[in-house]
Amino acid sequence: MAIKARKNIYYLVRLLLWVGLLLPFSGHAEDYSFNLDEFEKKNFSWGGYAELKWDHNWINQSGTFGLLGFHDNPRAKLDRLTSTVQLDGNYNKGIVDFNWLLQASAQKDQVDAEQNLDVFFAYASIKPAPSVTFELGKKTYKWGKGYAWAPVSFIDRPKDPNNPEDALEGYIGIGVDLIKSLPGTLKTLALTGVLLPVFEDVNDDFGVKNHMNLAVKLYFLYRDTDIDFIFLTGDSRSTRYGFDFSKNLATNFEIHGEIAYIPEQKVKTLNSSGSLENREIAVTSYLLGLRYLTANDITTILEFYHNDAGYSEAEMGQFFQLVSDADTLYNSTDDDSLFQQAATISKSGYAKPQVGRNYIYTKVAQKEPFDLLYFTPGITTIINLDDKSYSLSPEIVYTGFTNWELRLRYTQISGDRYTEHGEKLNESKLELRGRYYF
Amino acid sequence: MQVKTYPSSLKALFFILLSINLLTLTLPGKASALDGTKILLQVDRNLNPETYEMYRKLINIEPDGTKKEFVLYSVKKGQDKMVALFLSPASEKGRSTLRLDDNMWLYIPNVGKPIRITSLQSVVGGVFNNSDILRLDYSAEYDVANITEEGDLYLLELKAKTNTIAYDVLKMQVDKKALVPTTIDCFAASGMLIKTLYYKEPKDFGNGIVRPSVLETDSPLYKGYKSAMVYAKITPKELADEVFSLNYLSRVDELR
Repeated sequence: MAIKARKNIYYLVRLLLWVGLLLPFSGHAEDYSFNLDEFEKKNFSWGGYAELKWDHNWINQSGTFGLLGFHDNPRAKLDRLTSTVQLDGNYNKGIVDFNWLLQASAQKDQVDAEQNLDVFFAYASIKPAPSVTFELGKKTYKWGKGYAWAPVSFIDRPKDPNNPEDALEGYIGIGVDLIKSLPGTLKTLALTGVLLPVFEDVNDDFGVKNHMNLAVKLYFLYRDTDIDFIFLTGDSRSTRYGFDFSKNLATNFEIHGEIAYIPEQKVKTLNSSGSLENREIAVTSYLLGLRYLTANDITTILEFYHNDAGYSEAEMGQFFQLVSDADTLYNSTDDDSLFQQAATISKSGYAKPQVGRNYIYTKVAQKEPFDLLYFTPGITTIINLDDKSYSLSPEIVYTGFTNWELRLRYTQISGDRYTEHGEKLNESKLELRGRYYF
Repeated sequence: MQVKTYPSSLKALFFILLSINLLTLTLPGKASALDGTKILLQVDRNLNPETYEMYRKLINIEPDGTKKEFVLYSVKKGQDKMVALFLSPASEKGRSTLRLDDNMWLYIPNVGKPIRITSLQSVVGGVFNNSDILRLDYSAEYDVANITEEGDLYLLELKAKTNTIAYDVLKMQVDKKALVPTTIDCFAASGMLIKTLYYKEPKDFGNGIVRPSVLETDSPLYKGYKSAMVYAKITPKELADEVFSLNYLSRVDELR
C-alpha cells in the first residue's frame, strides 16, 4: 500500500514537473493584443522626463581653473546633486501648432546652489500646405551634420561635446520653410529662412543689439547625399558662409562634413601685458566625421574638428601664466586682484570647453555585449591634437526598466602642465544619472 | 484499322516542336521569371496599398521572456518613401525615421536634428533592423532570380537590385491562394542566414486588404531573442511628396 502511494506521488510529481516545464511553451501563440484607442491623436499632448544626477569631482587643485575657482577656499573634492524636470508639449488647432520645451533644474554642491527655469523653445507653426511652414517664436535650429561639434550651426548655442544629445536653448525668430520633392537624382530641395532680431531682452546674448539678422539654409538631397548651403548676415554677428554634407557609403557606414568661413571674425586674446586684445581675422572651421557599425553591434563615431578661431598653445599659455602669477601674488600678499582680472578674462572665451584649434572626438559603444541585456557600455575620448591633452570617459547605460535610463560615467582628464586638459577644473569625475520619461 | 503515316520531314518538324515545348516547360527561362515578377508585385499589393498609413506594435522578446514594446505610426508613398513615428513608450515618443530609397534618417526631439542612420542599425534593438521597420515593397528592392512550386507554396528566390540593400538574397515562401508570404529567409552576400521572417494570423483590415497581421522574426545571430510586429490598422491615404523630407521629420505627428 505504502509502495503504491509512493508510486502515485512519484507519478504526480513527474506530471506536475512536465506541466510546469511545458507551461511556458503551451501558450505558443504570444499575446499580441493591441488596443489602438489609447494612441488616438489628441489636440493636446505632453511628455518629458525627470532626472536626478549625482557627480563626484576630484579637483585639479594646482590647475588653472582649480586655482581660479578655489584659491580662497581650497578643496580636493566636490559633490554635486542636480535635479532636472523637462516638459515638452504640443497643442494643435487646424493648421496651427504650438510647441514648447521647458526645463527647470536645481543644483547644489558644498560651495554653491543654483536654480534655473528655461524656455528652450516655444513657437507657433502655421502650415497652409505640406510644402510651406511659417514659424514664429523661440526655436532651436541645430543646423549642421557634426555630432560633437557643428561649425555651421550659426544660429544655435554651442553644443557640449560631452553631452551632444542634450537639448539646447533656442533663439526668438520668424521663419519660413519651403520644401519641394522632385523625381530624378535631385530628390528634395528645401529652403529655410529665419529673421533673428537682437534687441534689449530679445536674443541679447546673440550679438550686437538693435539689429535684424537673416539666416538662410538651402538643402539638397542630390545623388543620395545631403547637402546644405548656409548663410548668415546682419550686424549682430559678422557675415558667415557654411556648407555641409552627409552620405551613406554602405549599409553600415556613414560619412559627414562641415565647413564654415567667416571673413571678419572678432577674436579676443590675452597679450603679454595681461590685457585682452581685440582683432579681426578670417576664420575657417571644418569638421570631418564618420559613423561605422560592425557586425557585432559596435557603433563608432569619429570626428576631426579644426577651428581657426581657437587659441593656439602660446595663447592659452598666456592665460595659464596669468593665473599662475595671480596665485603667486595671492599667496605672498593676499591680494586677489590678478585672480579677479583672470576671472573676467576667462569669460571672454578661455573658460569655454574645447577652446583649442584641432581635436579628435571618438565615441565607441556596443549594444548588449556578452548577452548583457539592456546594457550599453561605451567610451568617449576628446583629444586636443596640439597639446596632446585629453579626456577619457568610459560609461555604461542601462535601459532595462521601461521608460528609465540609468547612466554611470567616469571621466579622466589628463595632460601636462599648461595644456588644455592639464589645467581643467577636474582631474576626474564620477557621475551617476537616473532619468525617468513620462 | 487504318494507320495514318506521315512523311519523314513532317515527323522531324513535330519532334523539333515537341522538344522546344518540353524545354520551355523544364528550364527556368524568361517566361517563368516574368511570372515570378508578377507574383511578387501581387504579394506587395496584397501586403499593403502603394500609399497608406499604418499603426503597428513592435515587440522585442528577450530570452528570459521579458518584453519591450514600441508603437509606431507609419506612412508610405509609392515605391521608395516611408516615415515611421514612435508613439510609445515615453522614452522613445516623438522619434521619427525617414526612408527615401536607400537613404535613412533618425530624428530625436532632444537632439533636434535628423541624423543619417544605416539600414543594418536598429533604432529599437532586438532582431528587427531599420530596413525591416522601414520596409519598402519587396519588388522595389529585389528581382526574382528563380521561382519553383512546392505544394500550396510558390518558392521565390529574390536577389537584391543593388549592394546597398540590407539582405542580398531572400528565399520567400508564398501562399498560392492568398498570394502573401508565409516565411522569408534573409541571407547576407556571404550566404549566411541573417534572420527568418514569419508572416502569421491573416486579418481583414478593410478596404480589400486581407493580409497577415503578425510578423515574427528570429535570427541565428540573436539566439533566444524574438521580435514581432503586430499590425492594427492599414488604410490608404493620400500624401504629398514633401511629407517625406528632412524638414518635415519633426512634424510627422501632424499627419495623424
